[in-house]
Amino acid sequence: MFNAKKAVAVLTAGAFALGGLAACGSDDEAEGGEGSVYFLNWKPESEETYKKIAAAYTEETGIEVKVVTAASGTYEQTLKSEITKSEAPTLYQINGPMGLVNWQEYALELDDTDFAQDLNDPGLALQGEDGKIYGVPLAVEGFGIIYNEAIFEDYFAMDSAVVTSMDEINNFDTLKEVTDDMQARKDELGIDGVFASTSLATGEEWRFQTHLANIPVFYEYDEEGVTDKQEIAFSYNENYKNVFDLYLTNSTVEPSLTPSKTVTDSMQEFATGKAAMVQNGNWAWSQISDIEGNVVAEDDIKFLPIYTGVEGEESKSINIGTEAFMAINSEASEADQQATIDFVNWLFSSEEGMDYVTNDLGFIAPFESFGDSTPSDPLAKEVNRYMTDPDLEPIPWVFTTFPSQKFKEDFAGGLAQYASGNMEWSDVVDIFVSSWASEKANLG
Amino acid sequence: MQRALKKYFPVFVAPTGIAFTIAFLLPFVIGIYLSFSDFTTISNAEWVGLENYQRAFDESQGFTSSFGFTILVVFVAVVSVNIFAFAIARLLTQKLRGTNFFRSVFFMPNLIGGIVLGYTWQQMINAVLANYGTTIISKWEYGFVGLILLINWQQVGYMMIIYIAGLQSVPPELTEASEIDGATRWQTLRHVTIPVIMPTITICVFLTLANSFKLFDQNLALTNGAPQAQTEMVALNIVNTMFARMGQEGVGQAKAVIFVIFVVLIALVQLRATRSKEVEA
Amino acid sequence: MIEHAENAAEPLPEGNQTLSAGEKPKPARNGFFYVVLVLLVVVFIGPILFIVINSFKHKFSISSDPFALPIGDMWAGLQNYTTGLARTGFFEAILWSFVITVLSVATVVFFSAMTAYYIIRVKTWWTSALYYLFVFSMVIPFQMVMFPTVKIADMLHFNNPLGMVVLYLGFGAGLSVFIFSGFIKGIPLEIEEAAYIDGCGPLQNYFRIILPILKPTTVTVAILNAMWIWNDYLLPYLVIGLSTRYKTIPVVVQMLVGSNGNRDMGAMMAMLVLAIVPIVVFYLVSQKHIIEGVVAGSVKG
Repeated sequence: MFNAKKAVAVLTAGAFALGGLAACGSDDEAEGGEGSVYFLNWKPESEETYKKIAAAYTEETGIEVKVVTAASGTYEQTLKSEITKSEAPTLYQINGPMGLVNWQEYALELDDTDFAQDLNDPGLALQGEDGKIYGVPLAVEGFGIIYNEAIFEDYFAMDSAVVTSMDEINNFDTLKEVTDDMQARKDELGIDGVFASTSLATGEEWRFQTHLANIPVFYEYDEEGVTDKQEIAFSYNENYKNVFDLYLTNSTVEPSLTPSKTVTDSMQEFATGKAAMVQNGNWAWSQISDIEGNVVAEDDIKFLPIYTGVEGEESKSINIGTEAFMAINSEASEADQQATIDFVNWLFSSEEGMDYVTNDLGFIAPFESFGDSTPSDPLAKEVNRYMTDPDLEPIPWVFTTFPSQKFKEDFAGGLAQYASGNMEWSDVVDIFVSSWASEKANLG
Repeated sequence: MQRALKKYFPVFVAPTGIAFTIAFLLPFVIGIYLSFSDFTTISNAEWVGLENYQRAFDESQGFTSSFGFTILVVFVAVVSVNIFAFAIARLLTQKLRGTNFFRSVFFMPNLIGGIVLGYTWQQMINAVLANYGTTIISKWEYGFVGLILLINWQQVGYMMIIYIAGLQSVPPELTEASEIDGATRWQTLRHVTIPVIMPTITICVFLTLANSFKLFDQNLALTNGAPQAQTEMVALNIVNTMFARMGQEGVGQAKAVIFVIFVVLIALVQLRATRSKEVEA
Repeated sequence: MIEHAENAAEPLPEGNQTLSAGEKPKPARNGFFYVVLVLLVVVFIGPILFIVINSFKHKFSISSDPFALPIGDMWAGLQNYTTGLARTGFFEAILWSFVITVLSVATVVFFSAMTAYYIIRVKTWWTSALYYLFVFSMVIPFQMVMFPTVKIADMLHFNNPLGMVVLYLGFGAGLSVFIFSGFIKGIPLEIEEAAYIDGCGPLQNYFRIILPILKPTTVTVAILNAMWIWNDYLLPYLVIGLSTRYKTIPVVVQMLVGSNGNRDMGAMMAMLVLAIVPIVVFYLVSQKHIIEGVVAGSVKG
């Protein structure tokens, strides 16, 4: 016979044992009425610095700041599971308007916060359809063509050089002439190719499927006076192709091998002097300076705008903007929200906090409080130079309106096939247009 | 005896049952619910009925084509892994010296896991293909072959261990009798050994089937679906739906449910088919 | 099988001859087998060697000369190891990986074996339903249950090693019960009946009679679970890896990938080598038991 009484007793004992197991590790957040901060960080390389900042803040104010870093490439996944937990992040990242579609329910209105009002360009804030601010950038970044001035100096000194100074390179035609000539004389210049390899391995294509694509999409938006499109024409695709072909043909590797190259490969070629130019942003500084066998002098590292052959591009500069917006969890307790706002204010307006942002994180912070102070690395200085140049107009980052990661991967797949010689350019254009349309439609 | 044991259900079954319910059963039921919902995180799910299931089959989802590729991979992987594992197990059950060493070596790839391994394979394959001026993602066939190689490398050792156990359970008298009757080695293998170890084959085929259908890390690291999602397997397609696109978590969940139903059907058919060939040893 | 008896009159294939001639196989055939086996060793060990070799090379040389030996300029010494260790907190991770793996494997093996025994010996509709549920769980991709599992684990405060043990018991039960059931089916009932007549209760019977017979299977199941748990990434990452100090090895190794594609393959390979070592040692120590297990398994027929 089934002994029900005994069974229940043992079952209960088992359940208690399980409960006991579970209970021993749980630390309840009973910290009085004061809130605490939980920051879900998206830059693994900044983790140490953020932890230092958190410790300093806790020491000063007694408020607990927890910094947790998502593994690279898994931010959305991590956020989706972390935010449902009992101790959810109070401070997290939204990547532009597309991200806001998903996260609006969890994003607090930031219009009244000090840091949102302190933005030196209110247009940088991430606004919802209701015009309210839901995200504030913590850094502006710039990307363009990074070049090694020493190699160009060598070239300019050669007989019959196409041009003799960097200033003369201010449109695509000149850029192409110079590049072609340099490539032809690569042995004399002691390089393997003018451009570092175009990294088209999977997961490594973002410099091209996202950043380079910013330019044609910007011109298309600009021409029509819009900030987003449900369907894209990719009308400036020839301009994209101009510069993409230039990267492929005047490079350190055969075009057909680019789908095996990673960003690290490209940066290493540049840092070790095997290539004169590489398309990337100011965040790449550490990837140049940290490489063993680095031969590029700090003073020789400069930015050149990416010229694609659009009329009037002489007056355009590098691409400057932001894709990572800080958001505060609207589902968090009021005390936690306030604690988080206080922390962010401290970080971007106190002496100590600003020092960390500029010198340790190396961010160009887009707030009035920072004045002229910029990080000391050469690329950040270059970004600052272009931002303040009255004659040149930066191209803003519009790629935050690209419909999805899936769209980017589709396009990247086309680029890799094109580089391998398996696809016509017109088919790549078709992919761009159709994937954009279907992914945007999926959002609706 | 059965009766005496039956009372001890709380001791024998409850701990496993409770953990199984917490980790798997309950989440699975919630997962089914989510497949009928629109959600970003599981706390804000809204019931939308069958909409996710309809959207899962949209052309742009690439779900059906990832199914096709998955079936191809699974078929080739199941056949090749089992043939190789069986052949090696046969080799190692001959009376050879040093079989322990060989077993350990062949089992070794199983000890390593994770995505770093996938990157390593991608690098090796690309280094080889570079001699021919091409890369693993330039044609889907390369990615396919790479995936099959990787699966074989990882799973052959595992299945080999199970086959060795099976082969050693074949009574030597049986094969000897067959030899004395004048059967060739091939005939003995076919008519004596294989029928006797059919239960082992059932287990191995089922395990390779389950492992290959679930394959994710290796697919992600090796090609991530390139070119043009032609080498995207279903698990990767599901994850991409959830994380690489906006507002389609529910569609991803619906795909997972469809996939589960499909795999369970296949597994049932396979179990029934191989079980029917099992004989009493 | 006698249909082709005429074959026997023809010159027999070499293998057949040796077998009918006696126990000792001929050296020629063995030589061929060894050649095949050695080739296979190269194939199986190759990728592992590749990782070991490259873990001693500079990052740049890994992608430019992947197959070259780490000599001359390429030799990076222990640099990858030191950077990896410095950036990951690897030694603490080893400790937690070890604690979680050992506790989980012990729990999974102990309880799954009991459950399997019960399912096989008590024949009712619900035990067979349970059996099929366990088998069913083996084919479910983790992504299907990922969000709910993480949510439930959080509600129960499972973000610690003991919580992970419960989760691993839940996820590991499928395969483990499946394998144990297969072996328990083969244990003759008569053995147990004798014990019952001697007055043993089901618990005594199980621990005194069944468990010792299951020992070899237990080692096999333990190894399979140990490998899986040691290498598991997603579950510990999502449930415990982020907010607590109980980070496991796969979780910290993944942290070596920076944003913007800054992937340090050198350090990653070095950490992979370090992560393999404990599990290889564990395998080598216990593989003696696997062989025993196989032999014991063959006795029952």
